[in-house]
Amino acid sequence: MTQFKYLIIGGGVAGTTAAETIKQNDPSGSIAIVSDEPHVFYSRIMLSKPIFFLEKIPFEQVYLKNETWYKERNIAFLGGKTAVGMNAEEKTVSLDDGAVLQYEKLLLAIGGYPRKWDPQKIQGSDKKGVCYLRTLEDAKKIIEGVKTAKSAVCVGGGFVSFEACELLRMKNIDTTLLIMEPHYWANVWDETSGLIVEEYLRQGGVNVLKNEEVEKVFGADRVESVRTKSGKDIPCQMVVVGIGLTFPVGPFKDCMDCGHGIKTNEYLETNALDVWAAGDAVEFYDVAVGESVQLGNWVNAQVQGRVAGLNMLGKKQPFRMVSFYTTQGFGLSIAFVGDIRPLPDRTVITRGSRESKSYGRLILKDKELVGATLLNRTPEMAPISKLIEKDVDLSAHHAELADPNFDLKMLILS
Amino acid sequence: MANQREYPRAKEGSNIGKIVVDRDLCIGAASCVAVSPATFELDGENKAVAIGPNAADDETVKMAAQSCPTKAILLFDKDGKQIYP
Repeated sequence: MTQFKYLIIGGGVAGTTAAETIKQNDPSGSIAIVSDEPHVFYSRIMLSKPIFFLEKIPFEQVYLKNETWYKERNIAFLGGKTAVGMNAEEKTVSLDDGAVLQYEKLLLAIGGYPRKWDPQKIQGSDKKGVCYLRTLEDAKKIIEGVKTAKSAVCVGGGFVSFEACELLRMKNIDTTLLIMEPHYWANVWDETSGLIVEEYLRQGGVNVLKNEEVEKVFGADRVESVRTKSGKDIPCQMVVVGIGLTFPVGPFKDCMDCGHGIKTNEYLETNALDVWAAGDAVEFYDVAVGESVQLGNWVNAQVQGRVAGLNMLGKKQPFRMVSFYTTQGFGLSIAFVGDIRPLPDRTVITRGSRESKSYGRLILKDKELVGATLLNRTPEMAPISKLIEKDVDLSAHHAELADPNFDLKMLILS
Repeated sequence: MANQREYPRAKEGSNIGKIVVDRDLCIGAASCVAVSPATFELDGENKAVAIGPNAADDETVKMAAQSCPTKAILLFDKDGKQIYP
């Protein structure tokens, strides 16, 4: 059995940032990162971006650390191995190659995985050409696929599909987008926001079909077409599926509180002794809203990695941040700020309109702003973050918030 | 790459003379904004701009640059020598 002072499961941004933070403060403490991918830390967020996909930059630029970085810091990188079990009493994690690792302190930064189609339910969905996007290997498959594909189908209304549609269109591939819901991202925001995104997609040449799902995938070895629920047959050589995430909590769920993800308090501590969690798979207690929150984005995982690292070092530091996620495509800028969940106790104030193609939704809980979704209004991200951070009482300012020309910075000063 | 925007830094005692944002590389992940909102903001194209090149100390500016998932932020010393990445 190998022993480590610090054991980190997950080699993505949360796990790597935690290791870096720990090593800065405890250079002699032994540490290992277990990753189910063979690669050293790379920029997962870049995988869906045109500059990478269209090979406008050298492929190598996707790597954010090299092997020397791990060696110099004496961080053991155990790549291509998956954690399959945990014993909280003996403080061990077992791996798929039979190894058992003992820890003093454990960080679970296990990330999210694309939800996959079940070939039992959607016949043919295991054919070549059906793509998901998480790993470098996934990205390589798509990079190769777009070189020869004439037409493609994207499935799902979220960030992945939006970005996938853009890169397919940049390659002049006939693109059809299938959305199960009545409008784009219906579970996240309102109809107006959904319709604006759809307008941009259509202008960019994407055939958007709503209330539609894939029923069957046809082809010999590779996909040749899909049939939708309503009976449409769409020829395609590629299908890009972005229908949500799952979190591999299985090996750990008997040792700690898990829901959808791993539950932690505001210090990113789980209820198992000396075990922390960070990144997409964490349901942390958010002091800002007084609720358990799960966020899946790069910057959140990065900051959580840092905070979890500090807490593993014994510095008691709560995680509190206003998180961001942005994307851009077809000439449209999308930005999410803070907590955007459409919960029943939230009040939503909209600013802008579908006609002006500039539309924001400010999400309030009680008197305070907790989040926002912005279409072509990214510069408002900065004042909105400050209003959230400073817990500004906005109860007397609803009219200003609804005025698209009102400068939100004014409310910070008052 | 051509599409770079330069922000001279004149902070006293600083070893960083210039911050450069490569707008072709920037994907608007906003990790720099999370580290140093006084230095960086996103503009209308979801690209990072240095709104306060003198606002933060060297350590914070370095951390902001290092946090970028596409290495789109370049730092130069007072002699014009690139110090990151």
